[in-house]
Amino acid sequence: MRPIVRKGLWAAMLVGLGLAGLWLYLRYVWFAGATIAWQRHGTDYELLNPRNLGIALFAPYFLWVIGRSLADLPLAQRILSAALRVAFVIVLALGLAQLARTATTQKVCTVYVIDVSDSIPDAALDDARLAVQSALDARPKDDLVRLVTFAKRPRAVPLADDEKKAPTIERHGPGLGGATDIASALQLAYGLFPEGYIRHAVVLSDGVQTDGDLLAEANRAGSYKVKLFSIPYKRPVPGEVAVRELRVPDKIHEGETFDVHAQIFSSVPQSVKVVLMQGELVNGLDGVRHVDLQAGDNDVTFKSRVVEGTQVTYSLTVSEAAQDRFKENNTATAVAAIIAKPVVLYVEGNPARASYLANALAAQQFNVDTTSPLPTTLAEAERYDFIVLSDIPEERVSLTQQETIEQYVRDTGGGFLFAGGESGYGLGGWSHSTIERILPVRMDAEKRRDEPEVAMALVIDRSGSMTGLPLEMAKQAAKATADTLAADDLLEVIVFDSLPTRIVRMTPAKHRARIQSDIARIQAGGGTEIFPALDAAYQALTATRAKKKHVILLTDGQAPQNGIRDLVQAMAAESITVSTVGLGGGIDETLLRMISEVGGGRFYRVADPQSLPRIFTRETEMVSRSAAVEEYFQPKVVSPADFLRGVDIGSAPFLHGYVATKMKPSPAQEILESELAEPILARWHVGLGWTLAWTSDVKNLWAVEWLRWPQWGQFWGQLVREHMRQRRRQVFDMRAELDPATGHVHAVLDAIGGDDRFENHLGANFTVTGPQPGGPTHTQPMPQTAPGRYEADFPLDRYGSFLLHASLDKPIDDGHGNVRTATVAESFGHITNSYPREYLALAPDVATLTQAAAATGGGLDPTPAAVFDPAGEVIRYHEDLWPRFVGVAIALFLLDLLVRRVRLFDRKKTAKTMARPTLRGAV
Amino acid sequence: MFFAGLPFAQLLAIFGAVGFGVLVLYILKLRRRVVAVPFSPLWERILRDKEATSLFSKLKRLLSLLLQLALLALLVLALGDPRRTESLIKGRTVVVLVDASASMQATDVSPSRLAQAKDAVKNLIRNLGGSDRMLIAQMDAMVTPLGPMTDDASVLGGQLDNVHPTDARADFPRALRFASDVLRGVESGEIVVVSDGQLGEASDASGPVHVGNAKLTYMKVGQRDRNVGITQFSVRRYPLDKSRYEVMLELTDTGAAPEDVEIQLLGDGTLVDVTKLRLQPGVPLQRFYPQLSGANRRLEAKIALVDGTADDLPADDRAYALLPERHRAKVLVVTPGNTYLEAALLLDEYLDVTDVLPAAYPEALKTATWDAVIFDGATPPEMPKANVLYLDPRGPGAPVKVTDALKQPGFDKIDRKHPVVRYLGLDDVNVALGHKLVPETGDKVLGASDGGASPLLVAGTRGGYRFVAMGFDVRDSDLPLRTAWPLFVIDCINWFTDEDAQYLSAFRTGEVWRIPVAGGITAVTVKLPDGTVQSVPVHEGRAVLLGEQAGFYELTAGEQRTEFAANLLDVSESAIAPRDALPVVDGRTVAGQPVHGLREAPIGLPNKAWMGLLFAVALLTALEWATYHRRLTV
Repeated sequence: MRPIVRKGLWAAMLVGLGLAGLWLYLRYVWFAGATIAWQRHGTDYELLNPRNLGIALFAPYFLWVIGRSLADLPLAQRILSAALRVAFVIVLALGLAQLARTATTQKVCTVYVIDVSDSIPDAALDDARLAVQSALDARPKDDLVRLVTFAKRPRAVPLADDEKKAPTIERHGPGLGGATDIASALQLAYGLFPEGYIRHAVVLSDGVQTDGDLLAEANRAGSYKVKLFSIPYKRPVPGEVAVRELRVPDKIHEGETFDVHAQIFSSVPQSVKVVLMQGELVNGLDGVRHVDLQAGDNDVTFKSRVVEGTQVTYSLTVSEAAQDRFKENNTATAVAAIIAKPVVLYVEGNPARASYLANALAAQQFNVDTTSPLPTTLAEAERYDFIVLSDIPEERVSLTQQETIEQYVRDTGGGFLFAGGESGYGLGGWSHSTIERILPVRMDAEKRRDEPEVAMALVIDRSGSMTGLPLEMAKQAAKATADTLAADDLLEVIVFDSLPTRIVRMTPAKHRARIQSDIARIQAGGGTEIFPALDAAYQALTATRAKKKHVILLTDGQAPQNGIRDLVQAMAAESITVSTVGLGGGIDETLLRMISEVGGGRFYRVADPQSLPRIFTRETEMVSRSAAVEEYFQPKVVSPADFLRGVDIGSAPFLHGYVATKMKPSPAQEILESELAEPILARWHVGLGWTLAWTSDVKNLWAVEWLRWPQWGQFWGQLVREHMRQRRRQVFDMRAELDPATGHVHAVLDAIGGDDRFENHLGANFTVTGPQPGGPTHTQPMPQTAPGRYEADFPLDRYGSFLLHASLDKPIDDGHGNVRTATVAESFGHITNSYPREYLALAPDVATLTQAAAATGGGLDPTPAAVFDPAGEVIRYHEDLWPRFVGVAIALFLLDLLVRRVRLFDRKKTAKTMARPTLRGAV
Repeated sequence: MFFAGLPFAQLLAIFGAVGFGVLVLYILKLRRRVVAVPFSPLWERILRDKEATSLFSKLKRLLSLLLQLALLALLVLALGDPRRTESLIKGRTVVVLVDASASMQATDVSPSRLAQAKDAVKNLIRNLGGSDRMLIAQMDAMVTPLGPMTDDASVLGGQLDNVHPTDARADFPRALRFASDVLRGVESGEIVVVSDGQLGEASDASGPVHVGNAKLTYMKVGQRDRNVGITQFSVRRYPLDKSRYEVMLELTDTGAAPEDVEIQLLGDGTLVDVTKLRLQPGVPLQRFYPQLSGANRRLEAKIALVDGTADDLPADDRAYALLPERHRAKVLVVTPGNTYLEAALLLDEYLDVTDVLPAAYPEALKTATWDAVIFDGATPPEMPKANVLYLDPRGPGAPVKVTDALKQPGFDKIDRKHPVVRYLGLDDVNVALGHKLVPETGDKVLGASDGGASPLLVAGTRGGYRFVAMGFDVRDSDLPLRTAWPLFVIDCINWFTDEDAQYLSAFRTGEVWRIPVAGGITAVTVKLPDGTVQSVPVHEGRAVLLGEQAGFYELTAGEQRTEFAANLLDVSESAIAPRDALPVVDGRTVAGQPVHGLREAPIGLPNKAWMGLLFAVALLTALEWATYHRRLTV
């Protein structure tokens, strides 16, 4: 073959080889992904950097070079050398491609997790160091030891792989040892296990955790193939005194004496001084004691009493202990919620006589307020649990006050008692009022006799000054009077100027059309002479047989006074009452006031004639329709009621009178009635609350005998207690627990109605106030999590006592089509976290340590040998094979050198030629 | 520098041995080929030239030797895997917190947020510098480092494959504290949070988290927020009528647009109710199913969008609950005859009541294991090994001391926290005659007369069994005429058998659960919703387990089998809109970076000096090959 052809073929072969190699490389390596894996004989192999195989693509280069070699090597040796060099490069390429395989091993890495929290005595830390030292001594050659110390947070302690001496176990410094979180320490330990080692962890601790949960973490450790061993510290607890718990009753009534329990732990018997503080003062009843404590828990009980307030903070401090390691745990606090006595607002028309009911209620453990006026806002009203309005005329209670009472009862569940008297019910002008609307009785009692109840005389001034609107309004007032009177009642209308004129002669009111047409004829006249007109009225009334006789005198001017006083006195003697109405500024007020006072009526001073009809109507109602029944009677029980438990109405004395009313239809409930079957005591629900009507009085007039009745106080006490704003009914049970693993307080409130119904759709808000006293308030929503259940969760990042409160709101229709939110229920609770649990002086929790170890297959108090015993366990790990390829490469390198430096072939031929005399030369 | 592979001494030995071989080979003269040439004078000149160039020849040989020794040195050095000592203490030390909470299961990015987060971390691993080290930790209800701090990309990549999604919320403060623990004492620490940012506050019961000087980086994953989730699902039996129950379901549309949703409620796998609702964005809608009956155990709620599309987070579209199991309690009543008591016990159909006369009590006690024994006016000499209700106990066998007779006592104080009397109206019960009970330490006074001074109703534990003692004969009171009477008896039995309205229908994922198990059992196995079985320790009568999967669990303790359910039910996890910034940490606001195109660090062969050495060997060998064969070196 010609050399040029041979060279061409050689070059073509090299190029072909290079291109084929490139194609294979691109096809099977470059585009195959970041790594290439396969399995052979059950072993996983992987090329971690397969693209580095590209180095092998340079193999044709070596062949090309050797093709042009000037070296004096036999062909076979040249081929061998080239083969070795190509193999060398391929081995290099494989090494660079980082071939690795999954192998198994039994090497163990053990992390010692050492508790250095404040609860651990120094001697125990020395024990821990010894445990690590014995582990280092017993450590097989390839095994590793790592070290983590922990208190509140964990720390990795550097330890060389071949370390022979255990380091000193150090605490974490001031302020960092007040908590123990074993779970976090284990989590940090997970990050210290190198690949390819069986994972063991040894926990040296007293097992008392303040954060995290070792048992839950042990589960996870097991799932991450970490075997836990536990070594509980065995050093005795140094001398210690700790107030474990300060306990006060959940609910304390104002003024009641109760016990405050303190659980005090002492590790040795010793005497200590114990001081109980109530707020900022030493507990009054029993504040300072010297106590001989036994070893273990001691229950120390103090007596205390709270006179007033809604809450009080107790703190108990132990001092003068001979042996005490931590001062942090010598004080504990607790908050007591004080249940104040119910507050009754009692508004009496005649304050001088308010003491009878007030004293009775006070004796029944109520706080009675007789001095405050009726509230004008709901906020003011909510201070009271029950409101009593007694014997007061309607004119002394504003519309706003009446509406406030209505709201108070309807929306906040308040209780309201309306008591009668001479100014009660219709007698006080309460007909058609807001109060009448919310009471269970109507004030328009039916007539009980055929004879006329009322004879009314209207004496109206028609002097010149009345011309125009005043007279017209006076006529309207007269007509309204006729309308208001019952059919059998009698009416006479006398107008007067200088002389009186009878416009309507004593006529039954049922002849309304005629009366009104007569009134319409009234016209203005001349001067003003009251006496004759009043006298005419007197004459007319004297002749009638009505039970009540009343005169309304209307004038706008001045008139001679002669004889009027005598006349009115004479009228009063015949039970004819006179009320006077002065219109405008020109009246003789002294005269009119005198007439009304002597006449036993009322005086009205009116600036605006428009109000005349209203005044006449009210006068008429007061006189005609609310008749006081002043008879002796004994009330009868119509329907039983819980509040009458223990009260024998049958033994009650007589009442001397009441105001006649009429029951409203059901659900109004009549409790007591008179002999005339008229209501004495009635009640019904208004919204969330109760209103009660007591038609007799509550003082020494009609109820004078009842004041001496032994059950007078019990009767009213039970009545008020049952119908007052029932906070207790609306207080749902709240449970709050502090989760030591998370430091969160979890509060659960169950809102379950008495009728086996879950209270849903309430808007709940949860408030935490503390630490007491005076701590900040934090409010958060309390979402509903189940039928009737509301839950809140919040982190408690301070120490002390905390008050918990939940309010449950509900949208309420206010009766006018508006919807507003009202608090319908609430819950109270408190939680105490006096100091970090680290200082609770708890006994070592060996059970938890044992269970945690058992959960992962480990054990308690392992020997150093056991710590490094793989116990048949093998672990798969990634073994890098590239160093082996480097080793092979070194061997190939040496072999190649040998091939190049030593003539291995054609030695025989050389020997033969040597026999001939030739010149030696080298090429 | 230090050697991660063979130690230096071994390297020296290898180099010495192989280098000696190289030297020997170079000392040996290559035997020359003998070539016969026809004319010797022609070669004389050549020989003369050779003598002239022998010095140069020697130099070429020396050069060759040096080249070979250098090559050998590089190879041996590579075997030692040399590393810069600085890489132990310098370079970045990165803790990567991969969010594996429920919201990371959202599929708004393909295939899921978690998968995208893993890709982002892979990118980070590729971009690690030569002396950088990294630790990857999974962040969910706990924090779990997936391996040690390492610079080995392959190891890190392998760890990343172990990140798995959970049905729980992420505990960001815990994860941050872990990261700062790991980075304690490290100069250039860096924390990379790969998350959708739904992480709550960086503060917990221990206060705000501080990460010191560590650099904080937030890699934001996720795009959309279209999601409707079940944010509450629970079932409760009614306290009195336990045959019926009420279900609460709350749905929240956490997206930005109103959604029409179909709700399916299944009881024991059978469809109970289907409802279609329109949800307004951000407004939770509560729905109650009162007075239900029929299902025995399992309840499940499923939601689907009416338009047939799927929302971005399927994990919160199902919820599970279990009805409390009704246990037929065996009650032994020891009474000379009490109609009121018999009537009260008739109210609960789940009671299996046996009446015996006091004389027949010892025999009856042996016949069965009783859940409750009621002694009405008869007090045995000692308390049986059962839970006992004593009505008017007397004599030395009473669990509490019975002392002074009380005339017309009443319930002035009631412990309303106790399940026996929690919902009872006992305040106005009239009692003609009773006896004061003296509780022992640890007993609870449930009701007391005389302003609390005379206990009338006491509960406690004797020998591991519960008892309730009532200090009067019910026939001497008006209690039997009240609704409180049968409720009291049934509440007592429920308390004895732990069947009360406080039952939890489902646990929440991400919390440590404590599941009651029968006494004496120390370890149980729990079958998780995904079918895996786990051994769980028992502490103080409760199995302790951190649950991270939603669904039905089965707990096996010896022969006892208990089911329980777990749900995500977390509106903050259902709100999947990715956050633009991390919660404020140490007063710092950390804005999110997109996961792609993050930190274009140079790609190289970081911290792999052996690789560089081998590349150098390859280069040198190519050079040496050419020089040798071209006779530049010999």
